[in-house]
Amino acid sequence: MGSLLNYVIRRALFAIPVFLAVSILTFLITNAAGDPVNIVRLGIRSITAAQLEQLRLFFHTNEPVYIRYFYWLSDFLRGNLGQSLYTGSVASRIIPWIGTTLELQIPALLLALGIGIPIGVYSAKHQYSKGDYTITTAAIFGISMPTFWIGIMLIIVFSYYLPWLPAYGAYSAYPPYWWGSPFLDAIAHLILPLSVLTLVSVATITRLTRVNMLEVLRQDYILAGRASGLSEWKVTYKHALKNAITPVLTIVGLSFGTLLAGAPALETTFSWPGLGFAFVRAASTLDLPTVQAIIMIITLMVLAANILTDLAYAFLDPRVRIT
Amino acid sequence: MSDANSAAKPKQKQRGASQAAVAWRRFRRNKSALAGAVIVGFFIFISIYGIFFAPYPSRSYYCLTNGCANLPPFVNWAHPLGTEYSGIDVFSEILHGALGDLYVGVVATAISVAVGLVIGAFAGYRSGAVSAMLLGITQIFFTLPVLVIILLFARIAQILVAQGLGLTLIVVILGIFGWPTIAFVTRGEILRIKELEFVQAARSLGASNSRILFRHILLNVMSPIIVLASLLVAGNILTEVVISFLGFGSPNTSTWGLLLQEGFLYVRTSWWVSLFPGIAVVVAVLGFNLLGDGLSDALNPRIRE
Repeated sequence: MGSLLNYVIRRALFAIPVFLAVSILTFLITNAAGDPVNIVRLGIRSITAAQLEQLRLFFHTNEPVYIRYFYWLSDFLRGNLGQSLYTGSVASRIIPWIGTTLELQIPALLLALGIGIPIGVYSAKHQYSKGDYTITTAAIFGISMPTFWIGIMLIIVFSYYLPWLPAYGAYSAYPPYWWGSPFLDAIAHLILPLSVLTLVSVATITRLTRVNMLEVLRQDYILAGRASGLSEWKVTYKHALKNAITPVLTIVGLSFGTLLAGAPALETTFSWPGLGFAFVRAASTLDLPTVQAIIMIITLMVLAANILTDLAYAFLDPRVRIT
Repeated sequence: MSDANSAAKPKQKQRGASQAAVAWRRFRRNKSALAGAVIVGFFIFISIYGIFFAPYPSRSYYCLTNGCANLPPFVNWAHPLGTEYSGIDVFSEILHGALGDLYVGVVATAISVAVGLVIGAFAGYRSGAVSAMLLGITQIFFTLPVLVIILLFARIAQILVAQGLGLTLIVVILGIFGWPTIAFVTRGEILRIKELEFVQAARSLGASNSRILFRHILLNVMSPIIVLASLLVAGNILTEVVISFLGFGSPNTSTWGLLLQEGFLYVRTSWWVSLFPGIAVVVAVLGFNLLGDGLSDALNPRIRE
């Protein structure tokens, strides 16, 4: 157990340089012109003197760049995310965004695992069959489509052509509610973006599962299992899948960042009030304090997902625990 | 060295087909890989010669003043895929956009491959503090939420750098952030290959470090890199589409993402401006993905029959 703890601590320590790298990169980009105030003034014509003054204070623009960075970092670490250029404190606004994004991402991830793994196993078990060809073809289409574009297509069909589902937002702010009640209303809003996200993740997970299962199914111990009279079901799901699934879960966990990163375009398509949509709006309007805070929060979420993945990995793969 | 080469050649002929010939045979038999190659070929052809088929110039608002704005598709054959509210012809614009997307996809990938190969080769071939540091940097880059950083980069660059640069900015940004996978795989392959007998043979014959690295090792590393590069082109095209769709791209250069952005403004009434460029993106990306998958099957000796 001590070695497991050791392993997790070692992996968690890796989070520190990643966090610092993101903070430095983000800071450098926003300070690329020497002064973030210049960027805002160039980009947004209608900015007021009061807003610029507020920005100067936030970035401590009277100090040299490297001092400014430490001011900003220590502010962030103490939970002071600064004031948005337009709408009050960033910290109070960012928490609902995190919730709305997770409300979309976590069900999509679980659904995709639940659907993608069995399909991948089936495909690997029946390699080169018609079903396998259909599945691999569908999956490669799935990873070749821009996520947000599938969203637009679904909106055109299920929201405009057939007025069955809402096209934007996470809920209706006032009645009439979709399907009668506020709860069902939220479900109705969730269906389209959730389907898109699930669809795309299912494609990735199916491909990963298939490849890993194919590799495992070729190994000797599977043959030994069959020879000793185990049922095909038991060989597939108890012995093969158990080993094939570890790399799948690892990659999925580590690519949580990619999933989150896909959020800006998808959330914008559905006007889904999460981190991604907020990021796009803030970047378009050059609301730099908000942009920086969102990037740092997304980084923290990705790092948390990575550490959870490492834990799961240590749990699933006993070799990690021993060494 | 030349003696050894001429001695080795007849021997190779006796052994039959070369590595490349075997790979080519496997590739030819793989239908989806061939389909990928055909699509990629078509995409490249359209990118280069599409401008000669396009009835209207790039970003031309011809229809705005000629009474054919917001036409649905398949109605007026002068505008087979319809027109936008702003008067832009969708068919022409898709043809013009191909070049932009191919440019972003291929050149950004080339930058990533160049950087990734150098860093990966160094980290794999040498050992010590520098290579450990390179490995660490690679792993940090892996974990970064790359897309949001790229988006912020693109947005700030939009303001600070002259618009005339157009897509080149996006190319450079994508190139800078795309190399870690290449570096990681290169390093792994080099760690594996440098212990193999033929490398030791070359070393005992007195070959220099750079000769071993470039003539013997890198050539063997190339096959997984070619596969990755093909998939990376697909990924870069998708990222470019996202950047332009969100309005952080170049507003004066035709790309499919820009067309999708304009289409989304009027999606309620003019579905065709969203549908057709999207199909173009899917086909192009699918081509590179199929090609990558097929190459991976053809070049991977472990699953050779």
